[in-house]
Amino acid sequence: MSAPHRIRTVYWKELIDILRDRRTLIAMILVPIVLYPLLMLGSIQAVSYQSKSLEHEKVIIGVYKDSHRIMVQQLIGYDREALEAKRRAVLKETGKKPDLPEPFEDAKIVVFDTRDELEKSIEARRVQIGVVFDGDRLPDLNEYGRTIKLSLLADVEEVRSQSAADRFTAMVRRVSKRMLDLRLNHENLPEAFVDPVAVKTVNLSSPPSILGQILPLVLVLMTITGAIYPAIDLTAGERERGTLESLMVSPVPVIDLIVGKFLVVTTVAIMGATLNLASVTATVYFGGFNAIIAQHGQGVPIMTLVLILLCLIPFAVLMSAIMIAVCSYARTFKEAQNYVTPVILAVLIPGGIAALPATQLSGLMLVMPVGNMVLLTRDFLLGATIPWLTIGMVLVSTTLYAAAAVAVAANVFGKESVVFADAASFSSVFNRSLIRPAPRPSVSMALMIAAILFPVWFYVQGSLSPGPGESASDLLWGTARLMPVFFVILPLLLIAYWKINVVGTFSLRAPGVKYVVAALLIGASAWVPAHEIDVLQVHLFGLPDAIAQQFEAMQKMVSELSLPEAVLLIAIVPAVCEELFFRGLLLSGLSSAARKWTAIVTSAVVFGVFHFILFKIPVTVGMGVVLALLCWNSRSIVPSMLAHLLHNGIGAYTALHPEWQRVIGINDSESFAHLPVAVLGVGLVVFAAGLVLLRTPRVAGEPKASAASAP
Amino acid sequence: MDAVVADNLVKDFPTPHGGDKRAVDGLTFSVGAGQIYGLLGPNGAGKTTTLRMLSGLMAPTSGTAWIGGYDVATQPAEVKRVLGFLTANTGLYQRLTARESLVYFSRLNGLSRPDATARAAELIELLGIEAFADLRCGALSTGQKQRVNIARALVADPPILIMDEPTLGLDVLSNRVILEYIRRQRQAGKTVILSTHYLDEAEDMCDRIGLLHDGHLIAEGDIEHLRQLSGEHRLSNIFLSLIRADEQVEAMVS
Repeated sequence: MSAPHRIRTVYWKELIDILRDRRTLIAMILVPIVLYPLLMLGSIQAVSYQSKSLEHEKVIIGVYKDSHRIMVQQLIGYDREALEAKRRAVLKETGKKPDLPEPFEDAKIVVFDTRDELEKSIEARRVQIGVVFDGDRLPDLNEYGRTIKLSLLADVEEVRSQSAADRFTAMVRRVSKRMLDLRLNHENLPEAFVDPVAVKTVNLSSPPSILGQILPLVLVLMTITGAIYPAIDLTAGERERGTLESLMVSPVPVIDLIVGKFLVVTTVAIMGATLNLASVTATVYFGGFNAIIAQHGQGVPIMTLVLILLCLIPFAVLMSAIMIAVCSYARTFKEAQNYVTPVILAVLIPGGIAALPATQLSGLMLVMPVGNMVLLTRDFLLGATIPWLTIGMVLVSTTLYAAAAVAVAANVFGKESVVFADAASFSSVFNRSLIRPAPRPSVSMALMIAAILFPVWFYVQGSLSPGPGESASDLLWGTARLMPVFFVILPLLLIAYWKINVVGTFSLRAPGVKYVVAALLIGASAWVPAHEIDVLQVHLFGLPDAIAQQFEAMQKMVSELSLPEAVLLIAIVPAVCEELFFRGLLLSGLSSAARKWTAIVTSAVVFGVFHFILFKIPVTVGMGVVLALLCWNSRSIVPSMLAHLLHNGIGAYTALHPEWQRVIGINDSESFAHLPVAVLGVGLVVFAAGLVLLRTPRVAGEPKASAASAP
Repeated sequence: MDAVVADNLVKDFPTPHGGDKRAVDGLTFSVGAGQIYGLLGPNGAGKTTTLRMLSGLMAPTSGTAWIGGYDVATQPAEVKRVLGFLTANTGLYQRLTARESLVYFSRLNGLSRPDATARAAELIELLGIEAFADLRCGALSTGQKQRVNIARALVADPPILIMDEPTLGLDVLSNRVILEYIRRQRQAGKTVILSTHYLDEAEDMCDRIGLLHDGHLIAEGDIEHLRQLSGEHRLSNIFLSLIRADEQVEAMVS
């Protein structure tokens, strides 16, 4: 049976198994379908009932002088007049009876002896608001030249006091407007006299922004809740029920088991979240609550909900992968639950940061696990235009994290110390004295290191970007200093700690002569197909401004360097560091579980993604494949380093000597033009010759690469 | 060629206080093809650990083992294909029926869906599972579960079987069905390694017996050989006298 068949077998079995579990059904179906509508009905009705009852509750207004009591009553009388005037005006203009607020006639006014007593009563919540006037007489409505001055005492922490204060303020505003109208009328002045500038804010947010900010986080929670139970059941549960040993003696690679299980958890998480969302939607629409929500915004369009569901899939994938990885460490349900709790917190923190309105989907947030998905969902909901590059960054980094988590799970699941509680403790996984020397790193270790390095390197590059006034070449110098640390020294320390053979991992062997020749041919000519791919891309998709600026900035940076500097920074350092990392550590890690071409292509894709520029991905992935092939076939890192060095060296030289472009037949003004046929022909022939030489079968007498010793 | 070979197997477990506890101490034995080999010993003698190392579930601290000519450490995939392993206290998927479990494990062993269905039906008949084949495993009795478990170990019809206490906690009827089936496996030319607590069962079934104590073999051979060695007739007495002798030797050494 092939791997897809095995994964499918595991998938269907686990799906049936988990769906037959009463607990899954309760958590997945009963809770959303019954509980949510009930909760929602209950809470919405409670809220609307409360606000209704607040409106009709008799307001008690406190004053501390009898004269103030009379003034409040007068004010209420003025308001009645103002409302009446407004009603007449609207009726005359539109012919319809307007919907106006009710006058403040139901208020009860209580007179206290002192202001102090009044304030204490408000604090004690016996009285909702207090009114204190300056002076003891209110002017008439049409008495001009005086301002009524009053203080409104309220306890804004208390909802009844706040609500009464709001009503009182609105009333005062109506009276004020009425008095102003009368004054303007008396002086024969138009309304515009007091409103030289009129500002009207037009709300274009669609759907309401509160929804956009809260829903993504709710979504995270829904998806996590959906993933937790199946993840525990399918990993720790297997161990706890004693079925793990039977499974481990079946001739099925652990990775197939884990992938099958991971897909089931993803499925259940998506199903659960879909049901949740559907149930909430149904409640909102059929329960007539959309109108209530719409009072504070514009309601929720159905299309938005579809979008939310689409955003949910990468979420579910990542969360399921993380959950499976974490739960694979556990031997029992309880232990798994203990591991899951801090993970949920760890997930909520970036999610919470992302939910803050000011957070932007850029910089480090682009590659922040979970956080970037929350932001992407939020921006989607807010209807923002999101560049494809950003979407790509988020999806690629999320996929990378998910793949690493699944690989970790496959490495841990079924490990002796986890399978047998009596064998060793969990800590033995990290106990160096128990680590056995290995010829190569495992897939999970290689992917894990790559997944951690990805955001770190992105951040390092971002922080090195020159600010205004700084020299542009600082980026190149900084990169050249830090690249050996992150791509070589740190991985080397990890490799040494885990007792992994350094020579085997980095393929530090002397290459055969013909591979050196192949490397030189390829390195010298790879710019030809690379250039043509660039030209093709520009013809097909055009050159995005951002990319053009990036190219220009790069050109400028390089032009500040001398040739030896350029060769060091652009050719030597990247060639050595990137080869040791991508064709050394990553490729040899991948080769320990994947077939030749799977390993080569995967390493090339990761190599391409690490360049952070979408435009360059076709070329970098292509280069990655060729370099990986060089390393794999020669069993040595030297040829790929040579080819890389030569290729980048030519690039550096071209950047420093633009006249070189004319020599090879490219017009200065049009750098994305096809090469002259002669140059193209020769270049492709040399490149092909390198590939052919590379593919030629081994000469007799050369050591044959066995499956166990291939890089 | 011997079907199973253990060569100087050692297994150390780290203890919570640091240091190691040696569970299996230089174990060497071999089982010829078509034989039933009984691995006997008191609790904690290292039987289960030994069987787990033989099946590739556990990596030995040192030493090697071959199953059907394949090295357990370097050829785990081949070992899994020729080996049927019944672990002690095995669980079943509670929410699958016996039949579904058998089809699932047949599929994992590479059978196509029709073949897996046929194989499951065959095993259901052979082990007398018909009456409860379509009940969920969670609802089965101990004896019924154990029959399903044994059927599970046999889905791929492996030439070598390792069974860790296959009759533990079973009633007489289930016991008989299972032992009968194991005997039939031998007639079919299969090799069986059996670990058990029931001494008369071992006496009945096994061609050769290895007595395990404190992680090493204290005696090995057919029942006649063991009788001569200890001067006792009944296996339980042989067992006790040999263990006592071993403890005396160890006391003298230390």
